Amino acid sequence: MLLAQILAVMIFIAMFVLVVMEKFERQYITLGCGGIMILLVFGAVMRSWSAIWETLNVSSFFTSGFWYTASEGAESTSGINWSTIIFILGMMIMVEGMAKAGFFRWLCLTLAKLVHYKTVPIFITFMLLSSVLAMFIDSITVILFLAAVTVELAKLLKFNPIPMILSEIFCANLGGSATMCGDPPNIIIGTSLGYSFTDFLTNTGLIAAVSLVATVIYFFFVYRKQLASENGAGVDLSAMPSPASAISSKRDFVFSCLIFAAAIVLLATHSATGLTVALIGVVIAVATLAAFWRDALTLLRGVDYKTLLFFVGLFIVVGGLEQTKVLEALAGFIGEISGDNVMLMAAIIIWLSAVTSAFVDNIPFAATMIPVIKILATTQGVDLSTLTWGLAMGTDIGGSATPIGASANVVGTSVASRNGYFIDWKTYCTTAVPATVIVITISMVMIFVRYC
Amino acid sequence: MKKQIIVAIGREFGSGGHYVGQKIAKHFGINYYDRKILEDIAEEKNIQIEYLEKYDEQKRNMLFSRNVKGYTNSIEEIVAEMQFEYLRKKADSGESFVIVGRCADELFRGDERLFAFFVLGDIEDKIQRVSKRHNISKEEAATKIARHDKSRKKYHNRHSEIKWGDSRGYDVCVNSTRLGIDKTAELLEKFIEDRLAWQESEK
Repeated sequence: MLLAQILAVMIFIAMFVLVVMEKFERQYITLGCGGIMILLVFGAVMRSWSAIWETLNVSSFFTSGFWYTASEGAESTSGINWSTIIFILGMMIMVEGMAKAGFFRWLCLTLAKLVHYKTVPIFITFMLLSSVLAMFIDSITVILFLAAVTVELAKLLKFNPIPMILSEIFCANLGGSATMCGDPPNIIIGTSLGYSFTDFLTNTGLIAAVSLVATVIYFFFVYRKQLASENGAGVDLSAMPSPASAISSKRDFVFSCLIFAAAIVLLATHSATGLTVALIGVVIAVATLAAFWRDALTLLRGVDYKTLLFFVGLFIVVGGLEQTKVLEALAGFIGEISGDNVMLMAAIIIWLSAVTSAFVDNIPFAATMIPVIKILATTQGVDLSTLTWGLAMGTDIGGSATPIGASANVVGTSVASRNGYFIDWKTYCTTAVPATVIVITISMVMIFVRYC
Repeated sequence: MKKQIIVAIGREFGSGGHYVGQKIAKHFGINYYDRKILEDIAEEKNIQIEYLEKYDEQKRNMLFSRNVKGYTNSIEEIVAEMQFEYLRKKADSGESFVIVGRCADELFRGDERLFAFFVLGDIEDKIQRVSKRHNISKEEAATKIARHDKSRKKYHNRHSEIKWGDSRGYDVCVNSTRLGIDKTAELLEKFIEDRLAWQESEK
């Protein structure tokens, strides 16, 4: 087993290094490393067909619990988490439809118009909008549209969009932490450990709500002088783009709003209805393709299959660490450091997750840590939910600290820089690091008070 | 110049590639782009030119940048992309021009309007030229050459499958020390004229 463990760790590290190097597209890296894990570790060293079968996890498709469950059951934490992949695929198709109909741009322009194009109200409403949208939509899409509209308004209203974009990015990551479907780590955590949308909303959602208040106050305080000096006075408001101009087709717009609303209702009630997130993903995908049947092929082509394949490979590699019991050793190490101190264990999980996620992709990290906290809960007798919410907040928020910590950060800073508003590491971290520390501290204190 | 041409010149630091490019541009009466690209982009996007210069022809920092769905936070890559877009627009407008560096050989690879050259030079010759131009010692010049060439090479290879200075990626690779700057420029001008004439006769 030692040889298998060494090889599994080496493959895992090689995957991380290759992803950072960007020599190859990341889905090829994870799939390649996943293939090596299966052939070398499971096949040649362990000679275990059961390890391969459990990691590929294909049998889960054919169980009724994968699609419908009377009470929210956990999918196996080992191997490919197909629920996550199918749900994200469904959401991607829905978001493609919404973007095509002009929903996001319409929403941004409507809000800007509602606050009469005043800089400070735009600043605050866009932060709130970013958080609320990111609760249900992937943060990349949220920031892509929000940052583009912010830059457009900045040019027309003659203000510097960088403070606004940085605040929006942070709030998108924060909003994503509030729900099960807001951020990929949460979807993986929820489906792997059997938590529902409501569980997330009443736990990480509450922490995110408190943190959002602190975040809005913080960013307003930090940028107040700059915002006050750029109040958009003397600008011709008739030159502003009309919200209606964003809508490409009224029919498509209405349908995309209805499907989005239905998706929220289905997610919010899934623990009561018994519909799993995988089934909800299929339902919203089919509904979107039916509503946009003329453009169904275009929508399917717009799906980011690369990310889905990246997930497949990643789950195999993490499955390798689990099958070789490397993660048990890591859990044992954390358990040894923290002893019987639940607070210390929760603090280690949240800060370790936050610091790591600030520099590496939080999705592989969360996928790796899920089995670890599960083992810790079993061996140390700690309530699993305490560690789960710590892991979710740590991975979701930690990524906000640096420009490379989360996908939304990369997309937001890129949109700004492409338009000539360069955001370097110093500019980004000066405000984002303190904001991250504030929110992680709030999360830790709330977890201590509520669960420890 | 009737027929549109795009002359892309890769060069070693201190090899005189700039002067060769300027002479070719003057000979054909076409625009010469080097720093002017940055000036134009700075004006269009209201950016300080010093900021663009800092990231011009630099390779991204692997540990401090990430790429998500074609979006990158690397300012080096964004500045490069801004320049590629600028050059594509110029090419699409039908304008003939000489462009030094900026991976233009890769940007227009396969385009029959492209003339791709690489200018190199003997190290002693390059040291002498750099030390005179920047008024620095020979040791400092050698260090400067090594630093700039390393950076250009990394930048080029990040954006191109064919390596910087690899003769397979260029129409002509020429050592400017052998003929001197003026004769090197004339050699390349003659090449352009002959190829244009040959292309015309093939039609």
